[in-house]
Amino acid sequence: MGLLSPQDEATLKEHLSPITLPVQLVLFTQAFGGSESGDVAKEVLNEIASLNDKVTVVEKSFVLDTEDKAKYKVDKAPAIVILSDGIDTRMRMYGAPTGYEFVGLVEAIIVAGTGKIDLDPETMKWIQAVDKPTHIQVFSTPT
Amino acid sequence: MAAANEKITADAIEATEFMELSRKYRVTGVPKTIVNETIEIMGGLPEKMFVRQALDMPDEISS
Repeated sequence: MGLLSPQDEATLKEHLSPITLPVQLVLFTQAFGGSESGDVAKEVLNEIASLNDKVTVVEKSFVLDTEDKAKYKVDKAPAIVILSDGIDTRMRMYGAPTGYEFVGLVEAIIVAGTGKIDLDPETMKWIQAVDKPTHIQVFSTPT
Repeated sequence: MAAANEKITADAIEATEFMELSRKYRVTGVPKTIVNETIEIMGGLPEKMFVRQALDMPDEISS
């Protein structure tokens, strides 16, 4: 039995249906010495990927896959790197994406899979005018 | 924001899983947003307000 009820699965499948671009969810976990949230993250991502054939999960080792870790600048695990058709969207999730964080993950997947960003045009102008490296960290909890 | 501009990276961090980070940034309530190690935004804000604060834009003067 999956994490989601059949009704929730159907709802999520519908939310994901506008996706037209391949989305890769690159999951970095630590098998030894890591927390069990890596297993939870894997389960959540696989459940999402099972509902849309454009979404795939790529598993990486936080310890062994050092090149990819450096490429995506991942410094803690579990980490989810979201790629849109192989291109880094620069969106990361750290920790198991459960509760409210699950919602954020789904929204990020939809952005990556549709290329559409649902923001006010004026807000978009402000964002697109940013010309220096800007690192945003949002702390939240599942409930 | 990250998807809209290559200069921007965005991390969503589970606060209870990464306690050292939460302590470093004095996360006592969520959501809490840190931008470039210096700007702190507590709570959820309306879109425009959040973006203006995150990008350190001057406050809008309402007429």
